[in-house]
Amino acid sequence: MRVVVGIKWVPNTQAVRFDPRTGTLLREGVPSIVNPHDLVAVEFALELRDKYGGEVIAITMAPPSALKGLEHVIGMGVDRGILITDRVFAGADTLATSYVIAHAIRKIEREIGHVDLAVFGQETIDSSTAHIGAQTASWLGWPYLYYVTKAEPVDGKLIVERTLEDRVEVYELELPAVVAVAMRSRKPRPVRLANKIRAKLEKPLIIWSNKELGLDPRCVGLRGSPTVVAKITFTPEVPRKKKIYRPRSGDDAAHWILKSLLADEKASKILRRILGGEM
Amino acid sequence: MGSIPTRFDVIVVGAGPAGAAAAYHAAKRGFKVLLVERGRGAGSKELYGGRIYVGPLRDVWPGIEKEAPIHRWVVEERLSIIGDGEVATLSYRYSNPVSFTAYLPDLTRWMVSKAEEEGVVFVDEVRVDSLVRDGEGRVIGIRSGPDVAYASVVVDAEGANRLLLERAGIVDALDAKRAPIALGVKEVLKLPKGAIEDRLGLSDGEGLSWLIAGTVTKGIPGGGFIYTFKDTIAVGVVVHLGHSVNAVEAGVLKESVKDLVESIRLHPYFKRLWRDSDIVEYGAHLTVECGLDYMPPHLAYDGLVIVGDAAGLLLNLGYTVRGVDLASYSGMLAAEAIAKAHDLGGMNAENLRVYENMVKESFIYKELVRHRGICWLTKERRFFTSYANILLGILSNLYVQEFKHPTVFEAVKASIRSGGEALLPLIGRILKVVREL
Amino acid sequence: MSISDKSERALSIDELLQRNVYDVDDEPHIIVDTEKCLKCRVKPCTLLCPAGCYTLSPDGEILFSYEGCVECGTCRSICPMDAITWNYPRSGRGIYYRFT
Ligand SMILES: Cc1cc2nc3c(=O)[nH]c(=O)nc-3n(C[C@H](O)[C@H](O)[C@H](O)COP(=O)(O)OP(=O)(O)OC[C@H]3O[C@@H](n4cnc5c(N)ncnc54)[C@H](O)[C@@H]3O)c2cc1C
Ligand code: SF4
Ligand code: SF4
Repeated sequence: MRVVVGIKWVPNTQAVRFDPRTGTLLREGVPSIVNPHDLVAVEFALELRDKYGGEVIAITMAPPSALKGLEHVIGMGVDRGILITDRVFAGADTLATSYVIAHAIRKIEREIGHVDLAVFGQETIDSSTAHIGAQTASWLGWPYLYYVTKAEPVDGKLIVERTLEDRVEVYELELPAVVAVAMRSRKPRPVRLANKIRAKLEKPLIIWSNKELGLDPRCVGLRGSPTVVAKITFTPEVPRKKKIYRPRSGDDAAHWILKSLLADEKASKILRRILGGEM
Repeated sequence: MGSIPTRFDVIVVGAGPAGAAAAYHAAKRGFKVLLVERGRGAGSKELYGGRIYVGPLRDVWPGIEKEAPIHRWVVEERLSIIGDGEVATLSYRYSNPVSFTAYLPDLTRWMVSKAEEEGVVFVDEVRVDSLVRDGEGRVIGIRSGPDVAYASVVVDAEGANRLLLERAGIVDALDAKRAPIALGVKEVLKLPKGAIEDRLGLSDGEGLSWLIAGTVTKGIPGGGFIYTFKDTIAVGVVVHLGHSVNAVEAGVLKESVKDLVESIRLHPYFKRLWRDSDIVEYGAHLTVECGLDYMPPHLAYDGLVIVGDAAGLLLNLGYTVRGVDLASYSGMLAAEAIAKAHDLGGMNAENLRVYENMVKESFIYKELVRHRGICWLTKERRFFTSYANILLGILSNLYVQEFKHPTVFEAVKASIRSGGEALLPLIGRILKVVREL
Repeated sequence: MSISDKSERALSIDELLQRNVYDVDDEPHIIVDTEKCLKCRVKPCTLLCPAGCYTLSPDGEILFSYEGCVECGTCRSICPMDAITWNYPRSGRGIYYRFT
């Protein structure tokens, strides 16, 4: 199987800060990372390859710094990476982005070989639109399914499972197809020394600009993007302290949760209010 | 298990100032070098005080003054002793700067880019888990997860927190009660444009280094520091870890180490300096207090050389820390030694011990020995508590009088009495301190 | 995302850590055997961990969270009970320093 996985190079939003005086985002020195949900998609693609053979190609439309992101997923085991980068692609919304990605997949089919599956993450941490998979599928005219948790090729078709809140659905997809992988459905594997050395020595990276893709400038970048961002608002974050506790039993877990809540002044007040006389 | 087909001449673990220098100079000598770093890109795990002495670095990194991301050249040193409500400050200004400030992550990234230009294969995001040895105990490569990479010689440049050397049984497990280690905790404050110059009396590109002793460390051996960068100031403390544990045990330290830094940032004497600033980063790192006591039994073994902090090659003078320059210099010496060992016929311990001799003959080791006494000082708790108070007491007796001013001798005597110290042993100790410094 | 704040007040450890860049691993790189902590009298980690990763529950049990860890190694060097299995995060995750 040849699987193409789309990744997005996004600012580490956790580290971006908001200046209420100027109303601007402070992102000095904030590095970009591969969208964490896309790493889940990469893991999904690698599992398919490990089981059924073939290759995984990661693809991203981004500025050149995203080569670091491609190196990261090659470090995880992706066979090669394609960076699509060109000034004319800047400012793209999901429509213009998916247009470019779809054409890049066509180019992969022409120059590298038949593509069986395109995989995307469920959404991105910097915009949470979850459009790319569906839009790419419609440009390509391929079937599309989201929230996918499992896939297995059988007789040239793909048996796909998706897990919804109350049920598990099983589909049979004609290949080639596009799937968006359910977030947190698997843990991305760590980067490996052997793969990283390969990334450096063999440089399995391809860079395509619009010279290679030859797309109509009216359909890409800012000009090809009908989306207008009306206003960015900011919801202040309440500082959170994650705690990990390994309970010995269900009772123990309940006991611990209650104890921790009671230890917190605000939470215990609310609890007492709800439970009234019972406490 | 994946064994990597490519064999390297040299594998360097850790892309800090030591590892980057070793890799750069080994590649310059024609060796095929792999440099492995656990962080994302080089430098992303680096935290230090802020000031670097340029002298030795000129030999290691040609062009450093022109190309490196230098922020300010230090032209003023300040030392403050803080008591409860009192501050004594000594300042010294000079015109021929010998040290600069820089962000260590940026500087390290620059060093590694130089190494890459020489052909070093730099691999980041990879944590090395252990040194790999053959049946006879020779180091033959490194292991990371399921992968093994082989080389004729491994350079250990993993820094002060030396897990690999521990796992290889070369040094003892890190124990704060026995090892001469300290914890540095630091905040970085971003100031409005021009504020650093205006408030500290500096011109463009001029920097200041400021050490703080006294009550800031709650009597734990250590001190505070302030360094100036382009548009930020670093404020931090360094505390001896063994004594910190003792202080917790004795109930003397009741607050978190982070509160020690906060108390400098919010100290009325200092906080006006960074009015309207925004804290942009907070972090901590271990450092070595007394290099000689941290040195492994040898600096070279069969197939292995140890450089930088991991080798204890750091000079902590109390009033100033020299780690970056020494680390880089030792990395360069290691590369020279590897070339010599190669000419001598191979990377066995006997040949590689050239490195040990080179270190011992270099300024690094001579300085470490010359300043050995400082180790005593960093262990001397009293120096950090009563003596600071006595000094402040003397100043207070001298200056804070409404009618009658004492003679200097009277002021000294009165202050020492109230500090609960006997005069003669104290004079002995003060003389000792002066000798050590 | 957090708000930039120029006020001159003491900050909690959470507020300080929010200034930093992390890419937190899904798996903890440090494991604490909190059973052993029950017998630890002084619990130095609660004051000496610069990232406040070790906190005390109301009834004196150690709660450990690895997310804010700055990978300094202090805890492993001060723990008297050998309760800590310590490592660095994998894949470049964890703290990412910029101005230090
Ligand atoms: C609070 C403080 C203040 C200081 N102030 C100053 C100062 O003002 N001036 C000065 O010159 N020096 C100062 N120093 C000392 C200086 O920072 C060090 O001496 C210097 O960084 C040592 O360089 P190194 O390359 O030996 O180790 P490090 O800089 O620690 O580099 C080690 C590298 O190895 C990597 N690594 C570690 N283990 C592994 C592994 N298993 N696998 C892969 N990679 C690994 C690390 O991520 C790191 O990048 C200070 C130190 C501290 C802590
Ligand atoms: S010092 Fe060690 S044993 Fe004691 S509380 Fe902390 S982790 Fe537990
Ligand atoms: S390594 Fe340092 S920051 Fe991390 S938990 Fe231990 S003491 Fe805290």
